[in-house]
Amino acid sequence: MRAIFKRELRAYFASPIGYVCVAALAAIYGFEYYGVVMYTHSTSYISYVYSSMFSFCMIVIPIITMRSMSDDQKNKTDQALLTAPVGTVSIVLGKFFSSFFVYFIASTLGLLPAVAVTFLGSPSWGVILGNYIGTLLYGGAMVSIGVFISSLTVSQVIAAIGTFAVAVFLMLMDNLASGLSSQWLTAIVNWISFNSRYTPFAQGLFDLSSVVFFLSVMAIFVFLTARKLESRRWN
Amino acid sequence: MVEVKNLTKRYGSNLALDGVSFTVEEGTIVGFLGPNGAGKSTTMNIVTGYLSATSGSVTVFGKNILDEPNEVKKLIGYLPELPPLYQDMTVKEYLNFMYELKKVSLPREKHLKEICSLTKIENVYNRLIGNLSKGYRQRVGIAQALLGNPPVLILDEPTVGLDPKQIIEIRSLITSLGRNHTVILSSHILSEVQAVCQRIIVINNGKVVADGGTDTLAHDLSQDHRLILRLEAPEREAVHAIRELEHVVDVYSLGEKEPGVFELSVESTPDADVRKPLFALLARRGWPMMALKNTDLTLEDLFLRLTSSDSFTQEPVRSEEPEEIKAIHRGRLNIDIEELIQSSQEEEEQETQTEEKGEEDHESDI
Repeated sequence: MRAIFKRELRAYFASPIGYVCVAALAAIYGFEYYGVVMYTHSTSYISYVYSSMFSFCMIVIPIITMRSMSDDQKNKTDQALLTAPVGTVSIVLGKFFSSFFVYFIASTLGLLPAVAVTFLGSPSWGVILGNYIGTLLYGGAMVSIGVFISSLTVSQVIAAIGTFAVAVFLMLMDNLASGLSSQWLTAIVNWISFNSRYTPFAQGLFDLSSVVFFLSVMAIFVFLTARKLESRRWN
Repeated sequence: MVEVKNLTKRYGSNLALDGVSFTVEEGTIVGFLGPNGAGKSTTMNIVTGYLSATSGSVTVFGKNILDEPNEVKKLIGYLPELPPLYQDMTVKEYLNFMYELKKVSLPREKHLKEICSLTKIENVYNRLIGNLSKGYRQRVGIAQALLGNPPVLILDEPTVGLDPKQIIEIRSLITSLGRNHTVILSSHILSEVQAVCQRIIVINNGKVVADGGTDTLAHDLSQDHRLILRLEAPEREAVHAIRELEHVVDVYSLGEKEPGVFELSVESTPDADVRKPLFALLARRGWPMMALKNTDLTLEDLFLRLTSSDSFTQEPVRSEEPEEIKAIHRGRLNIDIEELIQSSQEEEEQETQTEEKGEEDHESDI
């Protein structure tokens, strides 16, 4: 798993894709801090920065994960991985963590504007860290979904568009919930919704059930990807 | 030791492998021969654990690939048809990655150096794989398979894309590896298999159609004990004299090939060698022998025969089979060969006739 993690991470930064994704997210963080916090001269709006970052992250993650599994299948390098003495789960975990690490770098760089703001005012670091952890959690869940979708196809473009579609669906789910007449359907949608799961973190709360929810999503999709990888041997 | 039993692989309705069984002993080089799409790569992919068989079992040194996949994979070095190379890595990075991935426990620097000098890739060690030529990529692929000195090497068309000099180098590398490794290599280059392998398994339409030693397979399969003799002697007299020899079944002339030199076909009983008495006879008579060759099938003939004729896909031909079964195969082959000879004779006759005719025409012109 470590070997694959290292290789994949190197691959991200051997091509522009890693730099572009990290730079884009870091720049948007900076812009949002500038546009919301600096402009209003109030550190109480930091949650707004993170809630608008939610959409941007969901859009950038498909680009990070699109090559994860599909590239190996296309270049036949999966033969090296699958005939090596490593299990499919550790292959997938290596891939997942490398994609997640790129996202982690971007999110961590997103803390820089907050540090800058600290010199000028006194933001609530509880809220900032809560948002940061929440960002990592829904990001991790989205990365695992992206890795899974990239294992379904050999085309990076299809993987990116597919993951993007899922991301948009997850983003718009809350609007959907309000339009539903059936109460139990609304409950289900709210239960799945990444946005409503993320809300407690935006307020600087550490919501254990949401943590478990996001970790479970990651575990499920890592497992599904491993099964998908395994199933390729059978057909 | 690699043991494959009754391997069957189905891709949807397409039966890619149908009951493939073979055993490869330690320290032998086995050639997997077959036309494109015969099931060579599929078999190799199953043995290495990349694919799963629909049914059947693969055991390597007594370990089943399904029960202990990681243990078995450690024992096998695999070079797939398309070397699994990451284009965005240098050779050094790639080999280091594979070293870690395969959990090799040998001293890293020394081991990598050894393998690089074996496969002669030291001079491209720091170059990006994406910029390497096909030959070098193939070598990096072989280097990757050698990592960790696995006792079993499975090489899928290892010399594809190499230039003739490299082919010879890689062949000698494989031969030297064969001394202490079990090597299974696939190829459709027959001379390669003949040069490198001790044993050949011919596979066609997902079935093993022949299995035996490189030297004996052609001989055993042909069982056609005919010698083609070219000698400078009076035709009729020579035919009669040779027919008198012990163990000789039939002698007939194939015509005059050079001025005063005739070609004769000498058929003997199986398991008898008539070359010595034949030589003695010719020496006594003072008839110079211009050429002598046997009519064993060449590997090319064998290959075409085994993979083109449908009658041979029914049951595998094995050189270690009991006599009765061998005889059946022999019978079948003999018929084919006789037909072949007849047709070739007819052609030759026609040729000589036209030649004669041409000569006559020439004479009449004069």
